Amino acid sequence: MSTEQPSEGQPGVAGVIIEGLYKSFGDNEVLKGIDITVNPGEVVCLIGASGSGKSTLLRCVNRLEDPNAGRIVVGDFEATDPDVNLDAMRRQIGMVFQQFNLFPHLSALENCTITPRRVLKRSREEAEAEALHQLELVGLKHLAERRSAQLSGGQQQRVAIARALTMKPKLMLFDEPTSALDPETVGDVLAIMRDLAQAGMTMIVVTHEMGFAREVADRVVFMDQGVVVEEGAAEQVIGAPSQPRTQDFLRRVLNPLGE
Amino acid sequence: MALSNRERRRLSLGIQAGIFVAAAAVLVLLIDWAALRQSFLNIEPVLPMFPGIITTGLVNTLQYTAVGFIFGLLGGTLLALMRLSSFPVYRWIATAYIELFRGIPAILVFLALGFGVSLAFGWNLSTLQVAGSALAIVGSAYIAETLRAGLQAVPKGQVEAARALGMPAWRAMVSIQIPQAFRIVLPPLTNEAILLTKDSSLIFVVGMAGSAAELTKMGRDGINMYQAGLTPLVIAGFCYLLITIPLSLLARRMEGRVGSRASRKKAKKGSTSSPVTGGVA
Repeated sequence: MSTEQPSEGQPGVAGVIIEGLYKSFGDNEVLKGIDITVNPGEVVCLIGASGSGKSTLLRCVNRLEDPNAGRIVVGDFEATDPDVNLDAMRRQIGMVFQQFNLFPHLSALENCTITPRRVLKRSREEAEAEALHQLELVGLKHLAERRSAQLSGGQQQRVAIARALTMKPKLMLFDEPTSALDPETVGDVLAIMRDLAQAGMTMIVVTHEMGFAREVADRVVFMDQGVVVEEGAAEQVIGAPSQPRTQDFLRRVLNPLGE
Repeated sequence: MALSNRERRRLSLGIQAGIFVAAAAVLVLLIDWAALRQSFLNIEPVLPMFPGIITTGLVNTLQYTAVGFIFGLLGGTLLALMRLSSFPVYRWIATAYIELFRGIPAILVFLALGFGVSLAFGWNLSTLQVAGSALAIVGSAYIAETLRAGLQAVPKGQVEAARALGMPAWRAMVSIQIPQAFRIVLPPLTNEAILLTKDSSLIFVVGMAGSAAELTKMGRDGINMYQAGLTPLVIAGFCYLLITIPLSLLARRMEGRVGSRASRKKAKKGSTSSPVTGGVA
């Protein structure tokens, strides 16, 4: 249903369809009927205040959270089908977390090889060659032997991206990937994400980086209190928002001290 | 003359040390050294205990403890996983086991295995089997709780990252959660190994052949054999230290290796060996 757009994206990237998605934590309804379609090769940025449900939505896509109702399709996988092979689906979805979540007992290289070796049963040589290639692409091949405690935040996040890419995903999810970084390291991570987008990867990015959204996103979705308030081209949603709630949010983000 | 803070602190520490030394000196003067040596450190008559106390006693203590600890670790890991299971029956079984064997004196477990098993099944267990399994049963109950705490101390994001990469739950447990939990609980596990070392002496309640005797048994027998008071037990006590102190040192080294000291050294090596490439364009 989703690989029929050869003009965009590298071969084999996946699209995402989200229909009527609801999610509650106890009495707290976080997602209240979300409909979003992401075409293969498209980059969609989710923006909105904290608590608006962006991260929960992202975590529903690879089923780290179980939605209460609705349907999600990722490439060939019916993500919300109770019988779906979750592990097989997740192998095609790379995820990058705000807190990096590198495995601290393993080196950067081993972080990138453990899943290919243990789950995909790749040989050590094959897995290490691929991992070193990915680490080189994020500029960290020379630090392959280091553990996460010996890497800066920005370096850890770049390793985390390389780790996700060694699985050859068809979709990448980014959950506020630069929110925990020192300001001077944000640029390196965003540059890698931009390159990945230009290479044709399908990406859903939860972010507060409006500059990145404007430059890289094909589409921007503004969420507030569990619903999609406004979506469209980045220029339109960020540059000329039509909804009062979007206008209010952007005013506060772009000019935190007010007038 | 006014004293600076630093001088005042040094003076205070000096007085504390002085009081301590004075108290120790008084104690030393009060002690009847001759009598004490007669009953506790009368080395000459007990020299025939060597080398047997090492080649038999120490070796047997080590064996019983090692078997007990290894199986205790395996059983404890299993019990910890059962306690964290989503299947309630596993949780109940593990909780009942842990509460029972943590709560009763270890000596009862030795008695049950030494006498109960042969009565119930007609099996004749060797001393190594009785001591090893008794220590494993008791040890696994303690180790399970230690490990459970360690598993729960691993940040949730670790398992999420592993699952998001496509690892099945058991693989995330084996490759990500358990290795990190063991690093966290290394100090309390060392403690557990030391406690088991000393608990191996409880095998005396079952009795054993001379060739199977461990340190405490040999020390107790020595009291009757030589006219040297309690000296044989003191010798056995020192032999325990020969096991437990190297164990502590080994654990401290392992902690260091996974901790920051060793990693910083490694980092230095990493950065000097290949200062190439670097940041992204």
